[in-house]
Amino acid sequence: MTMSDNPRRSLAARSFHAFGRMNVSRAFRSVVGKIAGGFIILLVLIAVFAPWIAPFDFAAQNLANNNAPPAWPHLLGTDEFGRDVLSRVIYGARTSLSVSATAIALSVSVGMTLGAAAGYFGGMFERAVMTVVDLTWSFPDILIALIFVAILGPGLTSTMFAIAIAYLAQFTRLTRAQIVRLKRETFIEATINLGAKPSHILLRHLMPNAIAPVIVVGMLAIGDGIVLEATLGFFGLGAQPPTPSWGAMMSSGTAQLFLSPWVIIFPGIVVAVTVIAVNLFGDELIRALDIRDRLREA
Amino acid sequence: MTMLNVRDLGVAFGGVQPLSGVSFAVERGETLGIVGESGSGKSLTAMSVMGLLPLSGGRITSGSVEFDGQDLTKLSEKAYRNLRGGRIGLITQNPMTSLDPLQKIGPQVDAVAVLHLAMTPAQARVRTIDILGTLRIPDPALICDRYPHQMSGGMKQRIVIAMALAADPDLLIADEPTTALDVTVQAQIIRLLDDLVKERELALILITHDMSVVAQTCDKVLVMYAGRAVEHGSVGAIFDAPQHPYTQALIGCIPRGLSAGEQLTCISGTVPSVMNYPKGCPFHPRCTRAHDICAVTPPEFAISAAGAVACHFPGDAP
Amino acid sequence: MTNLLEVRDLSKRFTSGSGPFRKARSMYAVNGVSLDLPKGRAVGVVGESGCGKSTLARLILRLIEPSAGEVRFEGADLLKKSAAQMRALRADMQMVFQDPYSAIDPRYTVARAIIEPFVIQNREPAGRMQDEVADLLNMVGLTPGLADSFPHQLSGGQKQRVGIARALALRPSLLVLDEPTASLDVSVQAQIISLLAQLRDDLDLTYLFISHDLSLVKYFCDEILVMYLGRVVEALPDTSTPARHPYTRTLMDSTFEPDPKLRRAIVPLKGEVPSPFDLPPGCAFADRCPQASALCRAQVPELVNYSGHAVACHNPI
Repeated sequence: MTMSDNPRRSLAARSFHAFGRMNVSRAFRSVVGKIAGGFIILLVLIAVFAPWIAPFDFAAQNLANNNAPPAWPHLLGTDEFGRDVLSRVIYGARTSLSVSATAIALSVSVGMTLGAAAGYFGGMFERAVMTVVDLTWSFPDILIALIFVAILGPGLTSTMFAIAIAYLAQFTRLTRAQIVRLKRETFIEATINLGAKPSHILLRHLMPNAIAPVIVVGMLAIGDGIVLEATLGFFGLGAQPPTPSWGAMMSSGTAQLFLSPWVIIFPGIVVAVTVIAVNLFGDELIRALDIRDRLREA
Repeated sequence: MTMLNVRDLGVAFGGVQPLSGVSFAVERGETLGIVGESGSGKSLTAMSVMGLLPLSGGRITSGSVEFDGQDLTKLSEKAYRNLRGGRIGLITQNPMTSLDPLQKIGPQVDAVAVLHLAMTPAQARVRTIDILGTLRIPDPALICDRYPHQMSGGMKQRIVIAMALAADPDLLIADEPTTALDVTVQAQIIRLLDDLVKERELALILITHDMSVVAQTCDKVLVMYAGRAVEHGSVGAIFDAPQHPYTQALIGCIPRGLSAGEQLTCISGTVPSVMNYPKGCPFHPRCTRAHDICAVTPPEFAISAAGAVACHFPGDAP
Repeated sequence: MTNLLEVRDLSKRFTSGSGPFRKARSMYAVNGVSLDLPKGRAVGVVGESGCGKSTLARLILRLIEPSAGEVRFEGADLLKKSAAQMRALRADMQMVFQDPYSAIDPRYTVARAIIEPFVIQNREPAGRMQDEVADLLNMVGLTPGLADSFPHQLSGGQKQRVGIARALALRPSLLVLDEPTASLDVSVQAQIISLLAQLRDDLDLTYLFISHDLSLVKYFCDEILVMYLGRVVEALPDTSTPARHPYTRTLMDSTFEPDPKLRRAIVPLKGEVPSPFDLPPGCAFADRCPQASALCRAQVPELVNYSGHAVACHNPI
């Protein structure tokens, strides 16, 4: 049967190739992409340069000036201990982003390895891995987080592990779905036919082609991770004082909700905007790389 | 009598002109083969005749499509709908996707008679069973209760043909009806189409990329390349003395079983994409006989009784 | 003439899963196939969809594990080789695939794809890598300038040429061609077939040519094997011997000549291909055969050799 050079096929091939060259810049073309992406970059810069940007030490207490409304020099007000809210929000960005990013990075690494091995080798191994992973999938992420905190005690380390485990299933399933799909492609058969070892096929062909959707979902998961970290912080199970955490700030702020609402409002707004920006940018990335159909497979 | 008369058809999609200068005619009881490789515009021609271009964003920019004396390009959508599936039937390339997978066979074929012949479902069912029998489908009554996925490719294609025939069309357009089918099944379908043309005095347009199918079953041939008609004539004339270099090359490309070891004619290069058709004659970059004028002026394609060629230097193969 | 490849009674059985409401069903995609491939010859395997020809090709290259039978390549029993030994042997028996669009990793440049066989087999080319790539590209009729292109920038014909260059990079002795031109336009098909014919002479290759296109196989091959539902029904020693099996006859009659003067009356083949899970006893073709007898329906015919021409039929023509 003759096949013409299907233009749709070329477009998919072109976007595919584009990601191979990490052409993320495509996602910045739309207005949404520019704003959301810009915000994310801004947030990362703030988190990195926090010590230079924050006007005050986040732990510096000044009981004489507690619960002060937003005014110069405390642009976002002070909390019940007189600590500068703005500085705490800035340092909170550090906490949230670093914990979430590290956790997701860990989750992606382990998830991709498990998923690739399960997808490639199949059989009982695949069934075993997927059953265990699906077990974690069936628990709400907060519950998993609480279990970890109960085992490891509160703090950033357990928060990190909690986030990593909560989202592990996602990456394992997605990677496995990619690998299973790619395994059937002719070029994999061709490479086997050339005498390639499984390691060569996995590392040189399967993983590089499977990575695109996983990276994007990872990005979206960082947004979820930030919310999870904030949630744990809200219950006092995440970052312990004096480390600032947006969630912990909101938690302690509830006591003064009507007295000094800015203590809750500002961290809350920042969490919300961050998650929205991450999700919007993630969407733009999916559109730019034309991988929506691959995400449905997981 | 001439059923379909297409003159100088031109089609555009946005800023691109995938079809220009296409002319041909089909009589009752006659089979016209439209042949060309991928990207030649043959399917687009069929879509234009059926008035289905707006579905994909195209429009007819020039020329006329006369069906039984009526200019289809001036027809309202409502009137066109009456014709489609009624007096003009279309058989598409892929039988796997032409049938609704969620409906049984019977109702799908019945629907044609109900719509176009104003029959009741009961009457339509009688007609359906009758047509399925004509197409040599065993146990038609049983088949009506089956779903498409339970049938083989060849059977599905026969059902699609039944649907095209149900309203007693005068013109049948078959767009690569056998490309996706096995060789023995193809032979059966081709035989079927042959019989139908003879028994019902149908006008049949058979679109294909396979010159052997054309040789076996067509009376007249239209060769297309890059959206243009390049040669037209009776099947005997086309195969005996092809005039256009592309037609000659197409025939020479086929490995003939009888002369194994004989050198195949190769055409260097590839079919141009619709985005950049070459200026002048679209075939000139690949033509062994191209001269300066070929790169500048597109050749005329005028139909006469003998045939037509769109070439500045037509002639027998060197 | 020595045999490069000897296949004896090769079979592959597939079982479709059993569930709580369903018994497991099994079928033979390839059933007791034997063939000899002499060095330097081109043997064609023809059949329609479901006949098992593609599965046969993969069984021979041991890309799928056979259920039974023997495959001897250059005298060595392939099925007794370990995974590591097989990987090394693969350099000598290569395949050109049907779908050029997915036969190359879309992230690899042409050069990288052509060099990969060397990387995988841990071999150094004679000269520099760059020169080797240029040589291989020239060999398949591509300009060396395409070395840095990606697959999506190439046409179907060009991609197929890259696939051929890749298969030939390590100079194998056996080349299995699985419908190499099925996805290509007629004019491109002619180019690729001419290239393959020329390469066969230049590189002293032995071909196993799988196709559904009988006229192509007749043009290109020295011998022809015809398959139907997993079995070889006829083995023609050359392309001019008339067919003796009714199925082969039908196949030949269904292949039209590109000459209106040679039109033939088509005798439609009755019935449909039976499901391989539900084969009738006896000859699988009996239900559709114009000359089937009671014996045909009862007993599967053996492949009998009539001085070089083998037919599996109780009533050969």
